[in-house]
Amino acid sequence: MGIDVGKFLKAPEYDIRITTYRDIFQIEALEQDRFGEEYKKLSAAVMMGKSDMDKMGFKAGDRARLTNNNGSIVVEVRATRREEPGGIVFMMNSPWSNSLVSDDTRGNGIPEFKNISCRISLTKEDITPLEKLIAF
Amino acid sequence: MPTVMELYQLLPKTNCKKCGESTCMAFAVALLSRKKNISECTPILEGSFKKQKEKLESLLLPTAGAEETGMIVHPELCTGCGNCVVACPVDVANDPKGAAIGCAPTNDKVIFRVVDGKVIASNIKECRRFGKNRVLCYACIDPCPTGAIEFV
Amino acid sequence: MVTCTGCALLCEDIDAVVENNRIKETRNACRRGAAKFRGCKNRLTPSVNKKQTDVDASIKKAAELLKTAKSPMLFGWSNSTCEAQAKGIQAAKKLNAIIDDTSSFCQGILIEKVLRKKFRTCSLEDIRNQADVLVYWGSDAQDSEPRHLSRFSYFPRGEARQRGYEEDRTAIAIDVRESNTAKICKGHFYRIPLKGDRELILALTDALSGKVPAYDTKRILELANILKKAEFGVIFAGIGLTYSIKDELDILVALTDRLSNFHILPMVGHYNMRGFNENLFKETGFVNRVRFDGKAVHDNKYAIVEALRQKAIDALLVVGSDPLSSLPRSVLPHLAAIPVICIDPCVTLTSKIATVTIPAAVSGVESGGSAVRMDGRVIELSKVVENNYLSDAEILARMMEGA
Ligand code: SF4
Ligand code: SF4
Ligand code: SF4
Ligand code: SF4
Repeated sequence: MGIDVGKFLKAPEYDIRITTYRDIFQIEALEQDRFGEEYKKLSAAVMMGKSDMDKMGFKAGDRARLTNNNGSIVVEVRATRREEPGGIVFMMNSPWSNSLVSDDTRGNGIPEFKNISCRISLTKEDITPLEKLIAF
Repeated sequence: MPTVMELYQLLPKTNCKKCGESTCMAFAVALLSRKKNISECTPILEGSFKKQKEKLESLLLPTAGAEETGMIVHPELCTGCGNCVVACPVDVANDPKGAAIGCAPTNDKVIFRVVDGKVIASNIKECRRFGKNRVLCYACIDPCPTGAIEFV
Repeated sequence: MVTCTGCALLCEDIDAVVENNRIKETRNACRRGAAKFRGCKNRLTPSVNKKQTDVDASIKKAAELLKTAKSPMLFGWSNSTCEAQAKGIQAAKKLNAIIDDTSSFCQGILIEKVLRKKFRTCSLEDIRNQADVLVYWGSDAQDSEPRHLSRFSYFPRGEARQRGYEEDRTAIAIDVRESNTAKICKGHFYRIPLKGDRELILALTDALSGKVPAYDTKRILELANILKKAEFGVIFAGIGLTYSIKDELDILVALTDRLSNFHILPMVGHYNMRGFNENLFKETGFVNRVRFDGKAVHDNKYAIVEALRQKAIDALLVVGSDPLSSLPRSVLPHLAAIPVICIDPCVTLTSKIATVTIPAAVSGVESGGSAVRMDGRVIELSKVVENNYLSDAEILARMMEGA
């Protein structure tokens, strides 16, 4: 009776698809300082519609780990600016989103930058720093 | 709308009293309520505070507009896309060879201009929402992608 | 008035207020353009093997690395002037190198179709003066080419469009996400599922040939009707659309064949990507992914992503681009393992790992030249401030002097 099972369970994982886009404020931050806090703040985030957040029990400001065969990153969860029907989540195109993109282009040379399948789960870990994405 | 703290942070913070207020904080309050003008703080006019002065001016501009007509431009939301510049009927009428056809404004009679990537409103008294024949115009609000223009 | 190199609209109506040889203020440039004029916080400095050196020494080392490489690639180019691109193409010839640009994983395949005249296209001035139906498809112009709608496509009054956008023009957005552009198109926003472009194109093609579209019949017929009635229509094809139908672009050709009043304009972000495509096309008949070997050979294996994945290159020159930031991380280990030469005005992720770094002038701000707007028109760039930075073209010329 005394055992708190939840403590040993991993945070639940969900399969999601990410599409990427560009944002003028992020482009501005990139022009100014691609190593800066502002660029990181805007880039290392996943934007989710309210229905998806409710379904998965996420709140804006939570941190989430995104993982697939290509990589794994921790980003902040944020609400989309406008109401989205759900089923797809969004990230601004950046080294963070690119770390989840496969190099398999079926020979055509164009990676699937805008169609990324991965798993998402809540985490308490820190947001992946840029330095980590460019260390090989 | 900027906060008193935001304005205060940009002042010299020396409490020199040259502006006639006893502290910089008091001056910030007076600035916000538009009882004082930035230029009354003579130390900030000196070269070394140039950046801060410009920032203060940009923070206070929208409130200057709101005072007269109720229009507020939120510079932090503005993308400088120029949609409002080209869509405003006053700009179209006053600058048929510039703003009206999508080019940079060619004179000072327009309401909207983009400076440093953000919109600045002037000549606000010309806005169709005011004066004798006023109409409820939305021509700058509807084309704005980010809700940077507001009337209060 | 000066030209902005913030994006491929190359706005020529920018007022840059210069004081003491510094840009104090810009007028008329959007937020993206203003940021470009303001410049970056960290300028690049010359280095070899991560040790500071002078520009001459770094250029010399770069030439040496490229000459000794067996299979070098020259990459970047979409943020360089036409003059620098021409120098780059000559260098690739001389070195028997592979040359590729960012269009390789962006709009290259679509621009190629335009240059091969598979699509009807038109100028931005034609659009301003004539266009009545505008389709932003997989393209968020508001954020990527921020003055597109205000300068040319939707809001301005043009010769045949005198009454303003509400009456004279219809703007339609087709996208997965309700972007800022979609917001402006309000009543004409068609949300599609991810990768749903194909279905929509086929359904529209059906509707236009009198068949009943397979799904969402009412809305598709409505859309087809607007397209059919257009006097001068334009599809602004963004990378959202290109990526989604990259293996079967011909379905888009087939759709536009049914729309005789329609034009296609590929939306381009980087200011001179179209310039590179046109310059290489003139020289070789291909827009990117070319290896010189006596003659020009085009192959998908010369695409930067494929070449890195297959570890097929042994040195990389990067000009005005940041592959470490823009490529899938999965291909980057090879990039980090070979000599990289980075020519850029600013410190980039790539410059951090580069063997040689060579600082360059910001084109359109610190050096002039020319570039090709997204619709193919050549635009002169301005030199707004004077300083000692060499332009990309000058650096490449010096690099190839001894080669
Ligand atoms: S003049 Fe300026 S610096 Fe001096 S007290 Fe007034 S606000 Fe502060
Ligand atoms: S409300 Fe109408 S007239 Fe007034 S500034 Fe906006 S667009 Fe111009
Ligand atoms: S329409 Fe909105 S975002 Fe665009 S310039 Fe005007 S205020 Fe700024
Ligand atoms: S739209 Fe593009 S070219 Fe025009 S000012 Fe903005 S960034 Fe510069």
